[in-house]
Order: sequence, then structure tokens, then C-alpha cells
Amino acid sequence: MEIRSYADYLRSLDDQALIALFESRSDLTAPVPSDIASLAVRASSIPSLVRAVDSLNKWQLQVLEAASLLAEPFTEKELLSHTDKSAKFVISALVDRILIYADKDGFRLPSNLREVLGNEVAALGPASAKKLKLKDLENAPAASKKVLDAMVWGPPRGAVSDVKKPNPGLAWLLDQGFVSPVNQQTVVLHREVAIHLRGNKIHKELLIQQPELEGRKVDAKSLKDASISNVTTFLRWTEEVLNFWAQQPASALKAGGLGIRDLREMTLHLGVSEDCASFIIEVAYISGLVTIDPDDRILPTHQFDIWLAQPASVKWETLISSWLITSRMSGLAAAPMGPELDRSNAALLRRTILTILESSENISPSANSLIAATQWRLPYRRTGGIAPEQIQWVIREAEWLGITGQGALSPYGRLLMHGEELASIDKDLPATVDHILIQGDNTAIAPGPLEHEMAQELDLIADIESRGTATVFRFAESSLRRGLDHGRTGDEILAFLKKASKTPVPQALEYLIGDIAKKHGKLRVGNASSFIRCEDTSLITQILKDKKVEALGLRRIAPEVMICTHDAQDAMNVLRAAGYLPAGEDSQGILLSGPRIMRAQTKARPPRIIGEFEKLEQSQLEKVVRTIRTGEKSSAKQSTLRDISHEALGSLPRTTANETLDLLTNHLRENPTKSLSIGYADNNGLVSHRIIDPLKISAGSLMARDHATGEVLTFRIPRITGVAAL
Amino acid sequence: MSDGPLIVQSDKTLLLDIDHPLSVECRRAIAPFAELERAPEHMHTYRLTNLGLWNARAAGHDAEMVIDTLIKYSRYAVPHALLVDVAEQMSRYGRLRLEADPVHGLILVTTDTAVLEEVIRAKKIAPLLGIRIDNETIAVHPSQRGAIKQSLLRLGWPAEDFAGYVDGQAHPIELKQDGWKIREYQEHAAEGFWHGGSGVVVLPCGAGKTIVGAAAMAHAKATTLILVTNTIAARQWRDELLKRTTLNEDEIGEYSGSKKEIRPVTIATYQVMTKKKNGVYSHLDLFDSHDWGLIIYDEVHLLPAPIFRFTADIQSRRRLGLTATLVREDGMEGEVFSLIGPKRFDVPWKEIEAQGYIAPAECIEVRVNLTEAERLAYATAEPEERYRYCATTRTKRDVVQELVSLHANEQILVIGQYLDQLDDLGETLGVPVIQGSTPQKVREELFHAFRTGEITCLVVSKVANFSIDLPEATIAIQVSGAFGSRQEEAQRLGRILRPKADGRGARFYSVVSRDTIDQDFAQNRQRFLAEQGYSYTIIDADDVFQGKI
Repeated sequence: MEIRSYADYLRSLDDQALIALFESRSDLTAPVPSDIASLAVRASSIPSLVRAVDSLNKWQLQVLEAASLLAEPFTEKELLSHTDKSAKFVISALVDRILIYADKDGFRLPSNLREVLGNEVAALGPASAKKLKLKDLENAPAASKKVLDAMVWGPPRGAVSDVKKPNPGLAWLLDQGFVSPVNQQTVVLHREVAIHLRGNKIHKELLIQQPELEGRKVDAKSLKDASISNVTTFLRWTEEVLNFWAQQPASALKAGGLGIRDLREMTLHLGVSEDCASFIIEVAYISGLVTIDPDDRILPTHQFDIWLAQPASVKWETLISSWLITSRMSGLAAAPMGPELDRSNAALLRRTILTILESSENISPSANSLIAATQWRLPYRRTGGIAPEQIQWVIREAEWLGITGQGALSPYGRLLMHGEELASIDKDLPATVDHILIQGDNTAIAPGPLEHEMAQELDLIADIESRGTATVFRFAESSLRRGLDHGRTGDEILAFLKKASKTPVPQALEYLIGDIAKKHGKLRVGNASSFIRCEDTSLITQILKDKKVEALGLRRIAPEVMICTHDAQDAMNVLRAAGYLPAGEDSQGILLSGPRIMRAQTKARPPRIIGEFEKLEQSQLEKVVRTIRTGEKSSAKQSTLRDISHEALGSLPRTTANETLDLLTNHLRENPTKSLSIGYADNNGLVSHRIIDPLKISAGSLMARDHATGEVLTFRIPRITGVAAL
Repeated sequence: MSDGPLIVQSDKTLLLDIDHPLSVECRRAIAPFAELERAPEHMHTYRLTNLGLWNARAAGHDAEMVIDTLIKYSRYAVPHALLVDVAEQMSRYGRLRLEADPVHGLILVTTDTAVLEEVIRAKKIAPLLGIRIDNETIAVHPSQRGAIKQSLLRLGWPAEDFAGYVDGQAHPIELKQDGWKIREYQEHAAEGFWHGGSGVVVLPCGAGKTIVGAAAMAHAKATTLILVTNTIAARQWRDELLKRTTLNEDEIGEYSGSKKEIRPVTIATYQVMTKKKNGVYSHLDLFDSHDWGLIIYDEVHLLPAPIFRFTADIQSRRRLGLTATLVREDGMEGEVFSLIGPKRFDVPWKEIEAQGYIAPAECIEVRVNLTEAERLAYATAEPEERYRYCATTRTKRDVVQELVSLHANEQILVIGQYLDQLDDLGETLGVPVIQGSTPQKVREELFHAFRTGEITCLVVSKVANFSIDLPEATIAIQVSGAFGSRQEEAQRLGRILRPKADGRGARFYSVVSRDTIDQDFAQNRQRFLAEQGYSYTIIDADDVFQGKI
């Protein structure tokens, strides 16, 4: 009883060992298992084992792979002889995670672990069914040796033109049983043979150490300069993105996320690459600074206003901390702020890379060496290792954010990793300036980071021409008009500029402001649904004062004209009711006479015809009968089967989920050909009896052939109410 | 953080604080790779462009030097991405080289096979290429030297041209410095050009571009073809060359509408070069008629399209472009770059003014109010007639008259666009009018009389926009122009920038109708000069009448 022995092993552990287990495999505590038996089931389940294996580094994984190839129970000595002496230190880590556990005979692996590690571990084929005379390998003919040389380090499968007509070298190997045919065109080298030929080792190369980081040294000053410049740039970008959308919100795609056209527009606005713009938007999104409102508009949140008012260090920390924990990878080819950006390993990957960077001070590693080190730390067997591009995304994102500067971990990144205060950022930022220089060509230059309020005011009345630590603003008719539209007067703008500028305001600019202010607002535009005009101004005055027509919301906009918020027909009705004699006017000013003939504004939608059913032809009717007959036969068969099982079983014994799993596993192992009777709950909780031939257990489900339908179905184990052998 | 004079922006602009003690030193350091974009009073704007960076590579500067310079003078930390980009762009230059080959003629050689593979697959490039010689080399049709350079530049893999220049037919030319001396900046400009092989020299009007041309000829010591805008300019070039060089009258030929002389130094007008006869440019043969060692393009910002096309075919001859403003209203700056050559010399106008080589100038915009009747007529005018209407309004006439009488004892040019307006002004002021239809002979007589002071005021159309040398003119009054043309405004100011004998300053009046598109165009027109540090003072027409100027 394997689960039993695994559970027994867990029972034998002291508290400390359990804590160590939970520390290294935190998924086991969510939710907290009810007892050791359920912990054992969970810890040996495939999803949990996958996570545990993913948390191993390359060397630990190699040792585990070697262990999986040994016959159970095995000893430490056996394991070391197949790997390296230093594997000793790794075994404890594997035992901590209970990927290896000891019983009285020696070490064992949880039963599902081999499935997690997959077929052909370390490029080794299946074991041979019969005992092989490995000594004979030394006497192999030259031709066979050549075949062996080609296959020994894998892949263990080889393609041949026809197994029936092998070449002499292969024929010898097939005869001896060292190689077996898989199908007509494929042969496989047996595991024992390969291990023997590999000199009793499993892996060609033991990756005991994390590969060294190679790179250039960055001196502390330029590292600091580069990182502070990255930090300020990123904060500025974020601010610009959100300010841009505050003025003209982008609209989200139906599927969610930002459309490519809006993204391009933003890319152009920021003057960065598309990848970079996507990333900035994503970071603002995950930090809660921007959101998609119910009308599908993408708008900054109130959080953004709070964020703006904070010192740079806090602003930066807000962005970085959301980036560190998010599972979204903006490098993936999908719309920013949209779905399909999640990768479960994203946060772990970032942490890992930053940890690697942290270990080498002031070194800017080459991308390849950083990728190698990361892949060593996170081998991710399942997917064949972490994709290098994902690692490169993290590298470039860290640089954009200023966690790194010129590729090396920045002082701020280091503080962040240690969870220390980031206030030093505020000190290292270039001092803000509180003035601008206005020049004769209608530009103003802020020769450094501008104070927030002044920057906002200038943003309103001038277009930004160049961005960076300094800002170049240009005053143009359109930008000044924007200021006036926002309620500034010409005099206010001028006064502000005179105060803000260290240099005198050029006369040409003064004139420009004056000219535009003079013209601004001369034309007034408003909404009205209808108008009422009358050459008799006293009648207009009378109507305005008439309480009976108050509901029309009339406003006099000229001596002879009033406007009304209601449409013309309503206005006429109200006026008529109040005793006036209005007449309608068309768009050309021509008097309309007679009542308006009305038409519906919507499309005609005649009702559906409900009538007799269509009569079927003779041949169709015959088909109907045949279908019914067939169905009848099959259900009769089913009910007979069900009756038989009822008689045979009476009511089913109830078993718990753990017991069920145990029973099924044993049944599968011991008498895989016999049928089982189970109780199975459907979606509504109704339990039905089924007779099944179990095939396989995977991911919490049982694959089995149902006798009633003859089909292979998937039964979820928690829904199986009980199991009994027939 | 240093306290340098330079602010490096992430959008690749460089802001130079000219009030900073290190600004002069910094300007010299960044000039080889950054393009001067604007030079107003306090902060000059330079820009890092791909062309500029490649140009610096061509002049022997490497990325490291550029990056060191930026970091050295920068006030704030330089964005790392920008430095990476600079290094990357600069490394693109020189991976392809055009070389002369004794067997195959012209060849394209690479140090990076991948790049060569990329470019030979480009649609625009393939037809220009000959046979593949080996992995790194491919033959190029010699006639396509210009075209392939243009296309490679557009692909972002500019080729370094090592194929050299033909010397042309030798002809002795020396500068004759008796009683005058070539100015330092003129010598720098000529040398900058000569070392670069081909290229454009940008100098303000009145700063002596002709002398730069003459100095370039003295370097080349070969037969020279000079292309100028019109006949008057051609004659001025001739006079100037006679005065400044060892050339004599028999060695200089004029190739224009009236004369067709081809001599060791030939001065041709754009007009005659682009004249079509039966649908073909019959005079373009001039380029081939002689083994020219140097071709000079005067006022290169006006170079017409057919000349561009022909220039592409003569890439083995040295080419010098001269202009005051490399602003082309048609946006063909890139063509000038790839066909004539990169900018070899550029200096802010105000710097030359400070050295005293051009007269200090004051720019004044006079705003006139339209009368009520005029406003109404303007409001209802057809859109295409609007500018003409407000630019030629009658009110302007009175202001011009007043201005002319205020400057009665100075040399005045009244410049405008519309002929009936000019005729009207000529009549009102009682002065002669020069326009397109004025015969060449009459024009020369009038200009001569103006130079000698016989007449003090002239009304001129756009024929006098360029290349007319009127040293003693101190006042220019502009009444209308070619819409919002920036270069025209600069050229017109240029007419009065020759240093005056008595050191007097010049005045440039631009008369503008208030609250009309005339005013909008004026703003655009002024942009180039404002960027060069000329600030406009705006006054009201009433101030003119009250003598408050």
C-alpha cells in the first residue's frame, strides 16, 4: 500500500520537518489539509508534485532524475554512485520536499513522481523485460558499436528503414535484446544498456554549480546615474501615459485590453518602442493607476491622483511592488490590459533573476550568461526550460524600471530586494527647478525637472516639444486656446509666465496671447432642441414671463429669439395649450402648415407566422421510426445491465475520497482487466450505479470504459461515492 | 551629478545653455555629430540624428567619443537607452563600403555578410547591382553610384564612399588676397568641405558664401561649374571671382538665357539648365561637356528636381552646396544630404553677427488694422483669394509711405509678392519697380544706381529675394510674401545684412494685417529667424504715424 507507507512516513515526521515541508511546498497549506492522510494524498498528487519539481534547481533535478531510475527501495550509496559525491548535500533538500522519502528498507519516491518526470528521463529508454547480459556488449561487432555510440546519450529511439530487415550492426543488438523494436520504423535502446555504456552514470554532464555570470563591470557612479535616469524616465512615462488618457481616453477592445491603434498612438506620443509602451501601460494597470470603466473607456483612477502627490520613492515602490508579484507578462503578444497575459511562473522568474543579479555586485551580465544561470535555477523540466525570451523580457523590464542600470542591479534595486527604505531615491533625484526660460521663438525651456504644479499649468497652455530631464514647451495658438478653454484668461496666462520665467516674456508672445484671448469665446455654442422666434419682441417677453410655459425651459438668446430644450412638436403643443398661436418652420425657414404625418423611426418587423407543422415525406418518417427503435433497444440493454448490477451489489459501500483513490490505484495495479462497480454522482448530486473497466488515473480523474454506453468516460474521483469489485 | 552646460533629453535633443561658462567648449565638442536645430537667446537646441551620427563617423569620430562627450558635458544623467542607440546607429555606418576596383569598376564591400545579404534582397537595390564577386563583395553599376547611396541610406545602412573623386581637368586657381583677408569661419567652412569631399556649407546671408566657393575652387584647382539662381547672381559671382581670385575674364564663362559660353569656370543658371526643349532637358549636357573637377550649387535650398536627378549621376565629382537656410519648404532636405552631401559647416547667425561680419539687424512687425469695409470684404473673400486680399490691403500703402519718409536718408528696399501692389507702391512712392518682366539691362542699371546712392529706394518683387548684393541697403520693408515661407523671410532679411561701411544696424519691417491669415503666415515666416535668435518687436501702425519707432 504505497499511499499508506507515504502517509506513514509523514506521520513519523516531527513538527519541524513538517514546517520545512510546508516552507518549500507552500501549496500544501492552501487549504490546510484535514489530516495526515489527506496531506499524503495532496503531496503525492500530480499538480503538487509538478510545483515541487519546478522549485528545484538543475542539479537537484538531476539527482532526482537519477533517483527515479533506480529500483525502489534504493540506498544513498547507489544514488551517489550514479551521480556525484556532492549529491549527498542535495538529497536532504529532496527529502525536505518529500520528493524522496525513507522507509525501513531505504529510499522511495512518491508514486506519481515518475509520471511527473515524464518518459525517457535523461534520454534513457525503457528497462528491458528480461535480464540482459551487459558483459556481452564488450564483444559487440564494430558495426553494432557504431549504432550504440549514436544512441547512448539519447535520444534512445532511432529510426530505421524497416525493423524486419535490419543492417548487421543493428541485427546483433536486436538479437541480444539490447535494442527492441517499437514499431516498423523505430527501435529503442534499453535503459540498462545505456547506463552501462555511460559508465554507470545517468547524465553526461553534471550541472552541480550555477553557471558563472559573465559580464562587464559597471562603476558605482555610472550605475547610480544610469539607474536614477531610468527611474525618473519611467515615472515620467507613467505620468505622461495617464495624463494623455485623462485628456482623450482610449477605448478598450471588446475582448478587453488596449487596441493596437491606441497603442501606436501612445508609442508615438512617448517616443518609445511599442514593447516599452505596452509595458508602461501594463505597470500602470496592475498598480491600479488606470482602469477600464463600464463604458469601456480607459481612464486614470483616483489612485493616480494620490500617486501623483507622493514622493518619487513611494511612486516607484508602488509600481515596482506590483510588477514583482504580478503574474502578467507584458512581453507576450497580447493587448496590454487585456486577457491572456498571465503566466504562473512570472513572479518567481522575476525574483530569481533579481536574486542572481544581486549575487554579483556592479556586474552587468551578458544576456546569455544570465539566461544560463536562470535556466539552471529554474530548469522547468515540463516545458523544456524557461524560454530565453521570457528571461530577456524581465531583463529589459528591470532596466526600464530602473531596478537595474546598464544591466547591473541598481542600488535601489538592492534596497528593494532587502525590503529597505527607498527614500534615498528622493535625495538622488536631480533637484527640481521652479522657473522656465522663455525664448524669442515662442518656446520655453525648463532646464531640469519642473515642480509639479508649474508643469501642470504649462502643460495646459503649451505643447511639449521635447521630453527628458528638462522639458521644452512651445506656445502655439492651439495650446494657448486649450488654456483658455480650461478657464484661464489671457491676463492670467501672461501673469503666470512673467512669474515663472527667469527671462523677460518676449513681446511677440505677449501679443500672441493677447490676440488669442481677444478672439476666444467670441463664438458661443450650446445645445437647443428647438427655437422660437417672433418679430414682436414684446410677445417674446410675455412668453418668457408666462408661468404656463415654464416647463419648456426657454432662454432668450437675442431680442427676437428664444431657445427651448424640448423638441419643436412639444414646444408647439405647450404653447397652444397656453393660448398662443405658433406655427412650425422647416430648416429653410418655410412655414409648415397642416399636421405632420408621422412615421415610425424603426425598421418594420412583422410578427412570425405560427401555423401547421410541415408534413414529412414517407422516407423521412421511416428514418424517424428507425431512430426511435434503435434508442429503445439501447436503453433496454442499459436497464438490463443496471438490473444485473443492482442484484449483484445491493447498495454500494461508501468510501471516502482517499480510500477510493487508494482502492482504484490498487485495482489498476493488481487486476487491471477486471470490472468495477461504482456509485457516481451527476451534476445534480443524483447517484447512479455504473459498471466500468478502469483504465487510468490522472489529475484527480479516473478514465474508464462505461459498460452501459461502451464509451471511455472521465469520472471525477471526488464524485465517486463508492467502489466495489464485481 | 555634474553641473554641465548640456541637457541630454531622451528624445535625442540636446539643450545647450549658452550662458554657461563651458558652453563654447561644449558647442565645439558636440558640433561634429549633432545638428543645430534652433539658436534662440538662451538655450540652443541640437539634435542627434542618424544622418548626423553617420556624418560624424565619416569624419572619423567613433561612438565612444560621442558618448564620452555627452556624459562629460551633461548636467543630468544621460539616458542609457540613448547611449545604446547612439552606439548602435554609429555602428551601422561603414559596414558597407563603395570602393573602386581595377577589374569591376565600382564595388560594394561589406564587413558583415548578413548586412550585405539583407540589402541585396531589397527591391530598390537589386537592379543597381552587378555580379556577386564573393561573399563580401558585389559589383555595382558605376552609373548607379548616387542611386545606390540614396537607397542604402533609406534602408538605414549608409555606405561609406571610398570610390573617390575624379580630379577633373586641372586649372590653376588661387585666392588673391590683396587688401582683404579670408575670414576664419570662411576658411573653416572651405576646409570642412574639402576634407569631407562633398557637402553643404550653411552660412547666413551676407556672410560671404561666394568667398567660401572661391576658396573651395582654390583647393580644387580644377575646372568648375557654378550653378546659380539667376543671371544677376551669375554676374555677381563673376565680379566677385575676378576680384577675389587669380582668374581673369577670359577664364569665366556665363551660361544663361542670353549667353552660352563654356569656359574653365562656367556659371550657369538653374533656369537655363531646367529649360525643356521638345520635352527634354537639352542643357543638362553641360554637366558632361567638360571634365569638371568641382560643381558648386548656390542657394542649394532652391535646387530644382531635374538637377537633383542629374546630380545623382555625377557622384564622382566633388559637389559643394551653399545656402543660408537648409530649410526646404518641400521637405527635400534628405535629397540634398544624399546627393550633394552632408552638412559640412554651420554656424549660428548671431555668432557671425557678434564677430561683426554681418550687420546687426532689428526685426519689426508692423500691424495694421483693416478698415470695417476691408474686414467685411476679407471675411467674404474666396478662400484662395484671402491671403492676397489681406496682404495687399490699401492700409498698408500708407504705412509703407510713412516708413519710407521716416528713413528718408537711408537705402530702402520695399519687397512684395503681388505685382499690382508693387506697381501701386512704386507709383505712390515715386520710385522704380523691379520685377520679373523688367529687362536684365534695366535691372542692372537700377541696382547699380542703388548701390551708388543715386536712388535711395527701390520696390522689388521676389526676383530680388536672393543673391542680389546691395551692400548699403539698411532698411527692408516687406509688404507681402509667398504665404508662410520661412526661407523667404530669412533671404529677404539677408538682403540688408551686409556689414555697413559706418557700422550701422539694419532694420527689417514686416507689414502685416491684424487678425487675418496674413498674421498667421507672418508667424510661421518668422520662425526660422526667431530660431536663429532674431526676436521680432511688434508695433502698431499708429505708432508709425506718431513716429514712435
